[in-house]
Amino acid sequence: MKKKILMRGNEAIAEAAIQAGCRFYAGYPITPQNEIPEYLSWRMPEVEGTFIQAESELAAINMVYGASAAGSRAMTSSSSPGISLKQETISFLAAAELPAVIVNMQRGGPGLGNISGSQADYFQAVKGGGHGDYKTLVYAPYSVQELWDLTLRSFDKADEYRNPVLILGDGIIGQMMEPFYPNPYRKPDLPEKDWALDGCKGRAPRVIKSLYMGDGELEMRNIVLQTKYAEMKKREVMADRYYLDDAEIVVVAFGIAARIALSSVLRLRREGLKVGLFRPVTLFPFPAQELFAIAGEHIRFLTIEMNAGQMVEDVRLSVNGKSQVLFHGRPGGSLLTPEEVEEKIRQVCCSHPHPVRAALNRWDA
Amino acid sequence: MAKAVTLKELSKKELLFAPGHRLCAGCGAPIVVKMVLLASDYHLVAANATGCLEVSSCISDYTAWKIPWIHNAFENAAATLSGVETMYRSLKKQGKIDKEIKFIAFGGDGGTYDIGFQSLSGAMERGHDMLYICYDNGAYMNTGIQRSSATPFGADTTTRPAGSVVPGKTEQRKNLTKIMAAHNIPYVAQASPSHWADLVRKVRKALEITGPKFMNIVTPCNRGWRSRTDDAITLSRLAVDTCYWPLYEIENGVTKITFRPREKKPIADFLKTQGRFKHLFKPENEVLIGKIQESIDREWEKLQKEEACFAS
Repeated sequence: MKKKILMRGNEAIAEAAIQAGCRFYAGYPITPQNEIPEYLSWRMPEVEGTFIQAESELAAINMVYGASAAGSRAMTSSSSPGISLKQETISFLAAAELPAVIVNMQRGGPGLGNISGSQADYFQAVKGGGHGDYKTLVYAPYSVQELWDLTLRSFDKADEYRNPVLILGDGIIGQMMEPFYPNPYRKPDLPEKDWALDGCKGRAPRVIKSLYMGDGELEMRNIVLQTKYAEMKKREVMADRYYLDDAEIVVVAFGIAARIALSSVLRLRREGLKVGLFRPVTLFPFPAQELFAIAGEHIRFLTIEMNAGQMVEDVRLSVNGKSQVLFHGRPGGSLLTPEEVEEKIRQVCCSHPHPVRAALNRWDA
Repeated sequence: MAKAVTLKELSKKELLFAPGHRLCAGCGAPIVVKMVLLASDYHLVAANATGCLEVSSCISDYTAWKIPWIHNAFENAAATLSGVETMYRSLKKQGKIDKEIKFIAFGGDGGTYDIGFQSLSGAMERGHDMLYICYDNGAYMNTGIQRSSATPFGADTTTRPAGSVVPGKTEQRKNLTKIMAAHNIPYVAQASPSHWADLVRKVRKALEITGPKFMNIVTPCNRGWRSRTDDAITLSRLAVDTCYWPLYEIENGVTKITFRPREKKPIADFLKTQGRFKHLFKPENEVLIGKIQESIDREWEKLQKEEACFAS
């Protein structure tokens, strides 16, 4: 029988990476993700892997570029300001189609911000972040269990699509300890890395690059990349649904905000309120069709985020006018409370769905 | 040349780094900062790289700094101050400001040796009129004692932990003071808070010189060094007396040792006071202490020869 183990989120990611066959990690200190490099600094050598503490975030992500080009499963981790520094090379990884896993344990921003959990890097994660037309596959775990499972999955997906994968956690989930099942890693059938630069003795040399100066060459490259992203949209969307069958108010939240919102939804369900929760697990690709399928005139959406309103834009794009989409958020690394979310849902419940009709009602009164 | 200042005179000056900051009890950094600020007779503007000093001296709406102070990010104190200093020169040229202002940047070893090195090197090469002070406590103490390129050989850190296989850090520390001297800037010095008169004199001298100056100051951290909270000065004195941290200056390329320990103590005296070196005293690791001693002897020898080159 499988046994649960107790682990801190950051350490669960680090161990899951080892289990998934990651043998190269480069990082740099930044709170609140230091447990990842600290854990891997002694764990990597045990499995004959390589741990490097770089002299900066830039160096760390570029080491990942190098290790990945050489065919290794490679990872780096950081927190918001450090992820900003890594953006140039994330763009290069995407352009060169190199697999890599990048963990962002978000903290409050902008600027130096603070060190408490936040979700303010949503745009940076899902809309690109660096320069050029590119996407990274983005997972948003909401429990230590999911940190484990999605880390295992990230390495496979990175190799499958030859694309950087971003795990978008936050300071809370990284520092949080909870029991979970350390599901064993089963490697799927993946094609050989017939692009890796692992020595060309006895075969033709290979080239990995992101510079395309020939007429129309870069456009063709971009089309190839976009085709790949379209494929991800078709095959990689993940979302969780709670009490949506008869829900009239659908809370949409990801990561730790979803964890908090779920408590509120459960409480209100007990009172008989028709409220449900939709939780995107992949942020790119975003579960747009799934949300559109739920939308309708009698349904209202309430997006809950620990930022000033970022994912809500994607919810609105997905719903495309079919439903009203409201927002409640706490920017700057402030923690949402279940009571606060509950109160917000109640307010939405009591308010009239149609602002125009609501105004007319007031007029009538 | 700035005139020498006595302890009595210093004691009458206003402290420009106020109490109430949140640095740990026993931290060496505020002692260094207070000495540096006290040493100056000028109006000062300071820049700070991210680190213990920065985060603990500007919590929320409070600041411990009684001088204008700017913090930007981790990797760019020297670049940020380059901008400030350039603007000052421009305003001065335009006649919009007539005050004589000196610029000081403070960075820890992470923000100076590692991530901030590029911006420091650039600022020094461009010749900005500033004094860059590195308070070197030998690891990333702010984020939880991770190794840096200033961490001494053999030290136990959270990302290079000492265990049964690895005896702590297996690389030598970077000699940043020498690297800065290789920038051919007018003034580079090493100082220690244990030798306050030497430290104060060096800061005063540096502030009189126009152009880029760099000072590296050993700064004990009881959390990271695993030492007693009342040992900061004792430990920095031991660092000097063992020649782990020789006090010297390089002015216009001329090396001068400013303090010569009467009796050079064995490095083990310095190592045994700190928990981060505890594992080195296991029988199987003692050979490493010999190695550390060798490297210190060699560096000290080299420094003395360098000085002798210029002795007339």
